Amino acid sequence: MLGYILRRIAAAIPIGLIVTFGVFALVFLMPGDPIRALAGDKPFPPTVMAAKRAQFHLDDPFFVQYLLMMRDTFTGHFGTTFAGADIGEQLKLRIPVTLRLALLSYFFEWLCGLLFGIYAGFRRNGIVDRLLLLATLLILAIPSLVSTFTAQYVFGVKLKWLPVSGILDGFPTSYLLPAMVIGVLGFAGLGRLTRTSVVETVNADFVKTARSKGLSEGRILWRHILPNALLPVITYLGLDLAGMFAGAIITESIFNLPGLGQFLFQSIQMKEGGVVVILTTLAFVSFIVINLLVDVLYGVVDPRVRA
Amino acid sequence: MTVHTTTEPILEVKDLTVEFETARKPLTAVDNVSWSLYPGQTLAILGESGSGKSVSTQAVAGILDMPPGRIVSGSASYRGQDLLQMPRKARRKIVGDRITMVFQDSLSALNPVQSVGAQIAESYRVHRGLGRREARERAIEMLAKVRIPAPHQRVHDYPHQFSGGMRQRVMLAMALALDPDVLIADEPTTALDVTVQAQILELLAELQSQTTMAVVLITHDLRVVEDVADHVVVMYAGRVVEQGRRDQVLTHPAHPYTEGLLKSMPSAELKGSQLATIAGTPPSLTSIPSGCAFRTRCAYAFEECSVIKPELIKIGSGSPDTAAAGRSAACLLDLDQRVSGLGTGAREVSAAHV
Repeated sequence: MLGYILRRIAAAIPIGLIVTFGVFALVFLMPGDPIRALAGDKPFPPTVMAAKRAQFHLDDPFFVQYLLMMRDTFTGHFGTTFAGADIGEQLKLRIPVTLRLALLSYFFEWLCGLLFGIYAGFRRNGIVDRLLLLATLLILAIPSLVSTFTAQYVFGVKLKWLPVSGILDGFPTSYLLPAMVIGVLGFAGLGRLTRTSVVETVNADFVKTARSKGLSEGRILWRHILPNALLPVITYLGLDLAGMFAGAIITESIFNLPGLGQFLFQSIQMKEGGVVVILTTLAFVSFIVINLLVDVLYGVVDPRVRA
Repeated sequence: MTVHTTTEPILEVKDLTVEFETARKPLTAVDNVSWSLYPGQTLAILGESGSGKSVSTQAVAGILDMPPGRIVSGSASYRGQDLLQMPRKARRKIVGDRITMVFQDSLSALNPVQSVGAQIAESYRVHRGLGRREARERAIEMLAKVRIPAPHQRVHDYPHQFSGGMRQRVMLAMALALDPDVLIADEPTTALDVTVQAQILELLAELQSQTTMAVVLITHDLRVVEDVADHVVVMYAGRVVEQGRRDQVLTHPAHPYTEGLLKSMPSAELKGSQLATIAGTPPSLTSIPSGCAFRTRCAYAFEECSVIKPELIKIGSGSPDTAAAGRSAACLLDLDQRVSGLGTGAREVSAAHV
């Protein structure tokens, strides 16, 4: 098991290098001068500008910039943004915001997705099943930007049930609406996956065997159907994280939540290559770690992948 | 093999009819099927795929998917209690405990994420209320009984870690764990190669000989019937076309379908000659011929066969030997004449028409 984990980590290193390099190159290639943009319409003294450029190594060749940035990232010297904010401080403030949002939306997604998926799978072609298929089809068909703004307008502006934006109302009030928007999107995929998997498992031969053993329906469900039906769902757990982070970029920006997603969005706008790479690396590392955990968990649940 | 004229049947299926609901009209998969099973007896239900042999036993055990399946009529009495009328809860005390089942494809019929030990132990835990440790001990004993080497280690293994033959032994261990009165084996050896098949059948016969357990063996393989059955029920298109003692049915088949099956079996004597086959294919449930379902493939068919649906009638009443076995077949031919070996039983009329 330990060897397996080490191998997985070793395999993640080259991927990490490619990802960070690619992201940094993309930001580097963006048009416009980030320092010049800081001053807006106002005149910028050339000496100040030169000092700023030197501070951020902007006049160095691309490779040197990349290597310096990587050194700073891994030694924990994150430095400041172009505007002067301490990046380490920013991360400390923003990580909890994104974590709360992610956990709350995960909660919505998994609660609804599993509940509806399992129920619909059991009562195939029943009313809940048909509604689930229709609702998830709608959710998946509507672009997330549309649903996000619609939710904000309906529940925030019109009905005034929940705050329109910001985190002034604290947790969980301020987070409910954005978490629900992300959660509902994830729920659509998860609900369908769970339903299909349950439908397949219910008709499996070993369920018939379990019935022929005279087991109660409850025992058949918990001991025989669910452990098999939820195997593909576990894999989804890891893949889902990528979608969660992508969702956070849009949602945090729209709902003005000062989390990592919003930070990333702003940093891209400001051409803050360093910050973008730090955030991407953070997302990448957590993605690798969660998928590693999922793989380990999968091995625990499914004996067939253990060998 | 066993004499059972005086004992009561342990399981008696009467007039069982099962339909499948479809978008158009319901299909009759099992049509008025009856058979009796006596303690210690091995009853083979012989038929091609789609003849309704599996559906009938699944309906009896209450594990048929309903819907689309539907039991239209009939009864299945275990020790005088009708399994089909029983509430689910009461039936679970019998099916799984006194009546158990073995299925064809052991890889898909065993839960892939549970160790075989846990799956065998489950029966002891649910039906006997044994504790975890004791149930596991019993599971190990069962694995040893079906001759799985190193049962103490193997009990922790999962189904995919066993070979096909070993896996079928595990199925057998699971089904025999509670020392049942009736074992329903649904094509238990079909997925195995011939040598392993023989080993499994031998093992089954040996374990059966130690108890009074009765076995319902569903098969399409005449050779299996020849090897292990006491009594044979031949099914065609959902109906019983012939039933009787194995030796009698196999030596003097009454129904032309049984005769066709026997003729199409390869043997050493037939070496070098072309093997006979039954012309045509079994009818689909959506288009079962009128009258006798077999008439379209029958060499002896005559006009009335398309009009009259033959009922099972007792045959061989003339000779005391066959009458004792309660032999019957569903055919319009002169069956007494056929089984006595005096002729094909074909009617004069049909000869005139040919």
